[in-house]
Amino acid sequence: MSRSRLSPFRAVLTLALAALFAGATVPAIAPAAAETTRANPAAKSDTPATTPDVQLVASIDGAVRTLTREEAKQLFLGHRNRLNDGTPVTLIDLPSGQTRNQLYQQLTGKNPIQVRANWSRLVFSGRVRPPREAGSESEALEWLASTPNAIGYLPADVSDKRLKVLLVVGG
Amino acid sequence: MMNRARFGAFLAGWTLAAACGALHAQTPEGGETVAGEEAPATSPPLIDAPNVQFSGFGTLGAVYTDDSKVRFIRPSTNHPGKENPDFGADSLLGAQANITLGPHSALVLQAVSREDALGSYKPRASLAFLSWAFTPNVTVRAGRVRTPFFMLSETIDINYSNPWIRPPTEVYSMFPFKELDGVDLLVSGSLGGFDVEFHPYFGSSNLSIYQSGRGKLRNVRGANISATRGHLTMFFGHGEADFSLKWKGEDFRLLASNLRRTLFPGGPPLVVNGEDILRDLSGNDGEGDFSVAGVQWDDGKWLFIGEYNKLRANRYAHHAHAWELTAGRRFGDFMPYVMVAGHSEDRPITSQRVQLAVPVPGAAEQLNAGLDSFLASRNLSQKSATLGLRWDFFRNTALKLEFTHARISNRSWGSFYPKELSFDDTSKLDKLMWKRSVNTIGVSVDVTF
Repeated sequence: MSRSRLSPFRAVLTLALAALFAGATVPAIAPAAAETTRANPAAKSDTPATTPDVQLVASIDGAVRTLTREEAKQLFLGHRNRLNDGTPVTLIDLPSGQTRNQLYQQLTGKNPIQVRANWSRLVFSGRVRPPREAGSESEALEWLASTPNAIGYLPADVSDKRLKVLLVVGG
Repeated sequence: MMNRARFGAFLAGWTLAAACGALHAQTPEGGETVAGEEAPATSPPLIDAPNVQFSGFGTLGAVYTDDSKVRFIRPSTNHPGKENPDFGADSLLGAQANITLGPHSALVLQAVSREDALGSYKPRASLAFLSWAFTPNVTVRAGRVRTPFFMLSETIDINYSNPWIRPPTEVYSMFPFKELDGVDLLVSGSLGGFDVEFHPYFGSSNLSIYQSGRGKLRNVRGANISATRGHLTMFFGHGEADFSLKWKGEDFRLLASNLRRTLFPGGPPLVVNGEDILRDLSGNDGEGDFSVAGVQWDDGKWLFIGEYNKLRANRYAHHAHAWELTAGRRFGDFMPYVMVAGHSEDRPITSQRVQLAVPVPGAAEQLNAGLDSFLASRNLSQKSATLGLRWDFFRNTALKLEFTHARISNRSWGSFYPKELSFDDTSKLDKLMWKRSVNTIGVSVDVTF
């Protein structure tokens, strides 16, 4: 896999902007040995002090370069399946859980029951393809890193050299 | 017995699907493993997966009718079951494949097995179209799509996406064609803060109707506009069609032979306008139009749905309007709701009265009564009030309970059918059906997978 486009400057800038946008702490840049890091592993304990933000991410080498919040909202509402520039997009869902619920609630204003009803309405009337549901966060991450047109979401404290942050959806 | 055997085969398919769904659901639910702590290579990359996505939906439902004389029916959708409770009204199973052909094109196939008006569970192709996205906002679809006539017509079988066990029969039996063979256009955009979808369509459609009826739509042309902003969705639509409606059942044959009586064998007709009346009831020269306005509000806590539809036809079908209002309130995974609905006839299928060639005492009254009985059996007018509870007890699974009190209108059969059907004396059927009040209790489980 080519990583020629990954400039440290860009990575720092993206993360800094993301952190600024969300008011989160800047995660450490991944050391070369480990591709994926978690800024604050303690946040994974059963009772996190604060809910981490959710970041929308895509492959650093992929066709998705930028994403506006409005585009993201339309995509996850199923009202469209392409970006403004015409790029078709594959959405990756996490399994049911806090991160997924938080993403949909904050981006589309819908609770899990509404989200499932909405997708079933759109998919079975032949409007859109359903998002691909990963079996775990790590599978989602692998899919996102290796699929050029995929857009997905991860907790904001996860960073990976192969992914770029498109948008941080804050609480 | 035939019905039961068919339902048995259908149930076997349902069990298989449920097993698949259960296996599917066993994938790690929480999935909160921290990425990077596992070997990343264990997950196959998505790009290697074939560009086919399978999904499905189903409902297992039963309706109990608190009345030994009548059966519940979703007119032109299912067969009036002899069993009580009836599993045929709402149970269905659907499977879908979304096949990506290229960056702009896709093939979507969907088959649904459910009891139809003839009592068969034979799967029907409910979606089979090729789509092409011209631009991010314009998609054309050619092939078979769901009829988009009313607000929820395209998801009439996707009960999981609706609050109720079934969309109100008063509204959705009005023009119950299921599939549209033709072409449509989906244009999405933004207008005044609303996400707007403009949906023009053109095509044809076929429908079997209990009992021994056949409807065909040709040159169906119409367009819908839906506008969504936040929790609010508004829907407007209008369509027109040329149509034919043919009856071959015993009731129509009896009526036709009465209207074609002669003064004496081989003589002139007794009923001067007999053929005129029959031309209003059955044939190939129908033209109709329908309009719809609907609104939905769903803020996660409160749910409101309202819809008003109107149908006009120059012959074969009555002029009617129908409406429904639903209010629901979510308490976590539970949502109690109430619905009131009505279907009213604005003009009967024909307003002609029997004209006799010679006065025969009592004959005109008798023939008109027979005609009125026939018209009433095609009139869906009724009002109903429903109290229901939806429980989303498991992911992608909802349990629903409903109690409905329906009052059939005068000169109507509503969404019910006589249990004992005899046309020897149609006045008995009139007495049985007209203005009857019936309670039904429904229970169903909806899944998507």
